[in-house]
Amino acid sequence: MGYEALDFYEVDSLLSDEERMVRDMVRDWVDEEVIPKIENACREGVFPDEWRVALGEMGVLGAPLKGYECPGLSYTAYGVICRELERGDSGLRSFASVQGSLAMYPIWDFGSEEQKNYYLPKMASGEWIGCFGLTEPDYGSNPGDMITKAEEVGDNYILNGAKMWITNGTIADLAIVWAKLDGVIRGFIVEKNDPGFSAPEMKGKHSLKASVTSELVFQDCKIPKNRILPGVKGLRGPFSCLNNARFGISWGAVGAAQACFHSAKDYAMSRIQFDHPIASYQLVQNKLSWMLREITKAQLLAYHLGQKKDSGDWIPEHISLAKMNNVDIALEIARVARDIHGANGILDEYPVMRHMANLESVKTYEGTHDIHNLILGRYITGIQSFTRGI
Amino acid sequence: MNIAVLLKQVPDTTAKINVSNGKVDENSVSKWSMSPYDEYALESGLQMKEATGGVLIAIACGPERNKKMLTDAAAVGADTLIHISVDGILDSIQVQNFLAAVIKNNEVDVVLCGKQAADTNAGSTGPGVAEILDAACVTMVSEVSFIENKFISVRPSISGTEKVSTNGLSVFTFDKGVSELRRPNVRGIMMAKKKVIETIKPENLGLEGSDSERVLLKAQNSPPEKEPGQIFEGVGEIPTIISKLRNEANVI
Repeated sequence: MGYEALDFYEVDSLLSDEERMVRDMVRDWVDEEVIPKIENACREGVFPDEWRVALGEMGVLGAPLKGYECPGLSYTAYGVICRELERGDSGLRSFASVQGSLAMYPIWDFGSEEQKNYYLPKMASGEWIGCFGLTEPDYGSNPGDMITKAEEVGDNYILNGAKMWITNGTIADLAIVWAKLDGVIRGFIVEKNDPGFSAPEMKGKHSLKASVTSELVFQDCKIPKNRILPGVKGLRGPFSCLNNARFGISWGAVGAAQACFHSAKDYAMSRIQFDHPIASYQLVQNKLSWMLREITKAQLLAYHLGQKKDSGDWIPEHISLAKMNNVDIALEIARVARDIHGANGILDEYPVMRHMANLESVKTYEGTHDIHNLILGRYITGIQSFTRGI
Repeated sequence: MNIAVLLKQVPDTTAKINVSNGKVDENSVSKWSMSPYDEYALESGLQMKEATGGVLIAIACGPERNKKMLTDAAAVGADTLIHISVDGILDSIQVQNFLAAVIKNNEVDVVLCGKQAADTNAGSTGPGVAEILDAACVTMVSEVSFIENKFISVRPSISGTEKVSTNGLSVFTFDKGVSELRRPNVRGIMMAKKKVIETIKPENLGLEGSDSERVLLKAQNSPPEKEPGQIFEGVGEIPTIISKLRNEANVI
């Protein structure tokens, strides 16, 4: 049976024709090329290279960026793309988020004209993969205290330090690396063959198994001077990127939740216990109607946030709320869907446990659930509670 | 070269069809799609356009919702979009007359369409249009190319496949083609959005008499429900199963 996306309030009827066409294009591709292959990709722990090629051919990478052969779509369209990709798998959406929001976006916003002309067309076409190095082994929620350093030596910068939890790292052609130059956080473009740079893959994940996660290691890594991003200093740089990626995640989580709902509903309708489909029992109906309620609310949040992003009338706290809420409910929906599937729910014949395990990462990365609460707490009270003098 | 591709919008193969009062309830169809054989015709048309530097004219006949399908065709490369705006059910001859009139008005060199539509399965549009246009017609083709001023098409034959050569205006009806269907991309979608759809009312086609209904659809019914399967348990039932397979199912 074909995939019918739950859209109880017909929120998608608010999309433009163009946004709906992009949705259908990505949805059809996910149906035909991702769903049949995702379980195998997870078992083998690989991101199929053909997906990189297809995303480039469809022209969805860096969706909302304009010029430099980038797609030039709306932020709402970018959200729709994330939602449809994550309906397939969070790892696939992570690939697109990192490429578009974390690697292309900083070059587009903070890069020199030469950098934009050189890198962006190659990245929009998928020829070059990018990654984003901010988090370090000892600095996750607190990136401001990072220890990775850059030094100016003659015509070069020399980088030293290590980054961790880097999506696409090992397969990337370039990394946007945030490091301190004279104590100030700056962005640098490091290419895969630069001397002193390596990106070993992190193994053993129970989550995002079809996505490559790596460390980035810089040992006297030497890069030419023209690889610094001239347009930004301080945490504003990486945080601007994260705002866009988190925006995409708030839509993506809806896709994962829709996939879990779809599977749970189908299963409940066909699974017979005590002579009747389990969908006919009140406990199961209660679960399904709760899913419908939460998905509908999440869709409205994502759509309205998309409109705000497109009009420019938004603040980072708006994004925090949507990312936090939508991933939270998606994870809970995945867990309840797994429950409805009974023992079958643990098999990879059904997508629910895969989504559930993926969403544990999505809840943690790009600002943990709790950190987003603290961002909102600071917004409400004006008092930051991230740190205190001890 | 002007390449016309005739497209029909049909209920998606995954959509549920409801029949009420002896008629398919079109409002209950959740998704409308391009008829699958027409997709192969479109793909072949796009390849011919690329090989010859021609112009691809996509033509659809039906209600307002057909515009979406035409825009979808533009997203993969159709140049000109023509919508013959008609509400309600038409008989095959009316549709053929409308399509043929539009084809005549656009100086078309070749016409491609599906061998049959996924909803009615009538298979009459291609041959019917060819008859009205006095064109050559080759049915059930899997590929068509334009070589040295001739159209070379491949279709099934008694021996496997056969190649057919035609001159002048030719109509080809497509079976499943040999080429993979192309996907749209964002660039195509953004161009398609700007494309103007030319809408034509049948009364402006200058046809006389041919738009009167000659075939009337009396009633549509759902297929009969399948009889429930039978379950047999244990070795002792084997003779019963063999007897049923032999005498009732007639398969052994």
